[in-house]
Amino acid sequence: MLDPEGGLLRGTLDLLILKALSWGPRHGYAVAEWIHAATDTTLLVEEGPLYTALHRLERKGWLDAEWGLSEKNRKAKYYQLSRSGRQQLRAEISNWERYAGAVTKAIAASAVPA
Amino acid sequence: MRRIFKHEPAPRRIAGDVDEELEFHIQERTEKLIASGMSAAAARTEALRQFGDLRDVRNSCVTLDHDRARDMRRGRWFEELRQDLAYAFRSVRRNPGFALVVVLTLALGIGANTSIFTLIDAVLLRRLPVPAPERLVAIGDPTRVNAMYNSTNQRPDIFAYEAYKNLRDNTKSLSGLLASGRGGRLDVFTGAVGDEAEHPRARYVSGNYFGVLGVPAFLGRTLEDTDDRDGAAPPIVVISHGYWSRKFAADPGVLGRVIRIQKQQVTIVGVTPPWFRGEVVGNYPDLWLPLTLQPVLSPNRPLLGDMSIQWLLLLGRRRDGVSEPRAHAEVTNLVRNWTAAHNKEQESNGGISQASRDSIPVGSGARGFSWIRATYRAPLIILMSGVALVLLMICANIANLLFARALGRGREMGVRLSLGAGRGRLVRQLLTESLLLAVLGTAAGLLLAVWSARLLLVMTAGSNAPGALDPRLSLPVLGFTTAVSLVTLLLFGLAPALRTSRVDLGSVMRAQSRSLTASLGRGAGRLVSGQVLIATQVALSLVLLLGAALLVRSLQRLENTDTGLDRDHLLIVDVAAQDRGLRGEQSDAFVRQVTGRLERLPGVEAVSFSENGIFSGTESSNTFEIPGYTARAERDTAAYYDEVGPGYVRAIGGRLLEGRDITERDVAGAPAVALVNQTMARFYWPRESAIGKTIRIDKVSIEVIGVLADTKDHQLDAEAVRRFYLAYVQRAIEEAGSLRFVVRTGGDPALLSVPVRAELKGFDAELRVDDVSPLSLLMRESIAENRLLARLAAGFGALALLLAAVGLYGLMTFATTRRTGEIGLRMALGARRGDVVRMVLLEALRLVATGLVVGIPLAYATTRLLRNQLFDVPAGDPVSIMVAVVVLCGSAAVAALVPALRAARVDPLVALRTE
Repeated sequence: MLDPEGGLLRGTLDLLILKALSWGPRHGYAVAEWIHAATDTTLLVEEGPLYTALHRLERKGWLDAEWGLSEKNRKAKYYQLSRSGRQQLRAEISNWERYAGAVTKAIAASAVPA
Repeated sequence: MRRIFKHEPAPRRIAGDVDEELEFHIQERTEKLIASGMSAAAARTEALRQFGDLRDVRNSCVTLDHDRARDMRRGRWFEELRQDLAYAFRSVRRNPGFALVVVLTLALGIGANTSIFTLIDAVLLRRLPVPAPERLVAIGDPTRVNAMYNSTNQRPDIFAYEAYKNLRDNTKSLSGLLASGRGGRLDVFTGAVGDEAEHPRARYVSGNYFGVLGVPAFLGRTLEDTDDRDGAAPPIVVISHGYWSRKFAADPGVLGRVIRIQKQQVTIVGVTPPWFRGEVVGNYPDLWLPLTLQPVLSPNRPLLGDMSIQWLLLLGRRRDGVSEPRAHAEVTNLVRNWTAAHNKEQESNGGISQASRDSIPVGSGARGFSWIRATYRAPLIILMSGVALVLLMICANIANLLFARALGRGREMGVRLSLGAGRGRLVRQLLTESLLLAVLGTAAGLLLAVWSARLLLVMTAGSNAPGALDPRLSLPVLGFTTAVSLVTLLLFGLAPALRTSRVDLGSVMRAQSRSLTASLGRGAGRLVSGQVLIATQVALSLVLLLGAALLVRSLQRLENTDTGLDRDHLLIVDVAAQDRGLRGEQSDAFVRQVTGRLERLPGVEAVSFSENGIFSGTESSNTFEIPGYTARAERDTAAYYDEVGPGYVRAIGGRLLEGRDITERDVAGAPAVALVNQTMARFYWPRESAIGKTIRIDKVSIEVIGVLADTKDHQLDAEAVRRFYLAYVQRAIEEAGSLRFVVRTGGDPALLSVPVRAELKGFDAELRVDDVSPLSLLMRESIAENRLLARLAAGFGALALLLAAVGLYGLMTFATTRRTGEIGLRMALGARRGDVVRMVLLEALRLVATGLVVGIPLAYATTRLLRNQLFDVPAGDPVSIMVAVVVLCGSAAVAALVPALRAARVDPLVALRTE
């Protein structure tokens, strides 16, 4: 169930990155911080795989990137959702909800079905 | 515009960028940890720990970014190609006339080239489509594919059946040796179409024919060694794929079917593969018959038993490990030994053996035998040079058109450059346009080539020989065509593109306000390259036109040359009297009766006959003694001769210069008589009359009774040779051979061919009449290659003329358009329309004149190469030069007149306002 991507379920990290960028351009560190904060630091065990995922999503064309200046005036690589990335985010959210809903329903079952 | 914001990594910077990005993360994390109270060193260690395997992540990111960069480069390339193509299509649509001219020009060039090269390939170059053709050895003169000689002297260039068997059994360097000879005319009844006999093309071949060539059967079996053992002649035939398709609708049930050939039932045992057209290029047989069947099918004319009948060509296959020179040397020796052994007798009689003097023709058999090859070699090489010239002109024309267009687009290019288009991008875009045109032109050219190659091959092989030459465009030809179009493409595409892209931005922008003066000064200078191209084209087309004019004039001379015969009123009737087995008195009665019957037909003025015939059949020569004449060379005592019927001179419409014709009174037993031609009379009796003189042949004295003006009996372009004519009924040979009756008519001889056939049928239903043709038709057929060459040369001349005219038209249109302002100004200042027209025309003629100055000496020099093809026309014929120059100037004037008139219609007000 767990894969090398920071100890996350396969595909979950992609979903979280897309979500993190849904409010606008962020650099990688900011994405990591958002995931820590949003998931109560439970999900991202290692931060390195986040970058592999960012570059992979960029190659897929879901993310665009450009160099910009950070809040502390340092040069940083900013990512933002492309048009297809936004579509992907919507698709992955509904996928996740169906999946999570199905699993939740299954484990909440009180009796063996007839 | 979205792309501008995209991060496009340059390959070299990818690793650095990844390092920088990751370092930023580590630093941010470290700072956050320090802020929460850690020491600097511990914080960095903790940041790295939280990050995980830094090197692994870095490498993955770098790989991903490289992949992405590659994808993007590829995508951009396609995107730009799409743009370029769309742009090219748009610009073709905007200017369809220009595109059409370029595509048609290219198509003509590629079409003409490919078809001529296909012809050259099929006739001159292509090897036989059999396994390892390079190991075949041809023995005999490869042009004598349909020859037959009757002479006790054994020839080294064509062989008797005995000689073939001797060579076949004695050679050590060949693994097999096949023989093939003409099938002649055979009556074939397939039963498919009533009772009418057909005359398919047949060839007699030895049983090992297919084995030596390595040709398998397509259906059934081919001939085998056992099929031609002496004494056993199985009545079988192998038919060609073409004949099978045409005659038997490709019915696989054809095997075992019995057809009748002459009077014999013959069984079809096999069909050859479609790619095999026999060993004679240009002669695709329908039937392959075993040699041993020949005496069975033509019992009156057996060709195998008599060693003096020489009619076979031989093709052997070299054994493994035997070098070509060694095989050739061995075979040459065998032939020499054979001829030497059998010609001893003649030599001791004082004659000189042929073989001791003649070289023995042994060569590579890879390309088979062919008479077409020998006949068409020189014309084809000339045509190839013509085609090369046309191709040069086409390149020049297209370069010219694109130059002109590129100049016209200078402004457009300037604007695009100033908007930031890269120079390389501009070049690429122009090349894409050229490429589009080249692809269209090449495609159209190939279509044209397929069609015209077929036409050419039929014209070469003759329309009565379907599929004789392989019409497939061969791979080398396709390669050549592609190479030609690529070279053309580079020539015409790259040069203008580079030139245009060097446009100086400032001058383009300024030109708008100064175009009036610019067109007079700099503009003229820029057209220089166009002018040079036009002059070159004029020179080249003059060469082609002069060549065409010479060949056409030569053909006219040839067609109208004095033959000493009444060429428009003779019908030649080829009768196979040898099949009737007539001897002695029977044979004399036969010719008397046939002559008498034909004479009584309405419209017939005179009838006679001869053994060899005029422009048909064969030629014979004989040696003799002339009392009082001492020969300096052996050939001085030989001349061509024919045996003719009474009234021969009158029948052929010949002119009797002295003495009398042969008459009914010159019968067997009466004193032997002969007619001689003028050349012969002058040769032996230069200072006195030939009448009453004696010729002695085999101890028989023959008296010369008449002198006939020279006639051309077999070849229109032949020099007059010595000929004499003997009385047929006084001949030494008993049995009647084939005969050609000459029927002189009052009107069109073609109208009499049906009545003549009917009359002969009425006389003897069994008598085979092989051919009834007007002499004029036979003469035309005898100069088929001259006609083909003249026709094609005229075609190329016209093509060249058209190209030069199109080029001139294009250049003048362009020049006058550029000078619209100047012309308007001139007219505003009082110039009349006539002045403008004259000005433009004079300019065009100046270009043409420049071309002529170069072209006339060039044409004069190059057309000397045609000398051997010309009949009665000198290579530097002034009339032909005049014709070529006048035609060229006339077309140039027409081509320039259109833009000139358009220029003259310029409204000065409009012209000046557009500036």
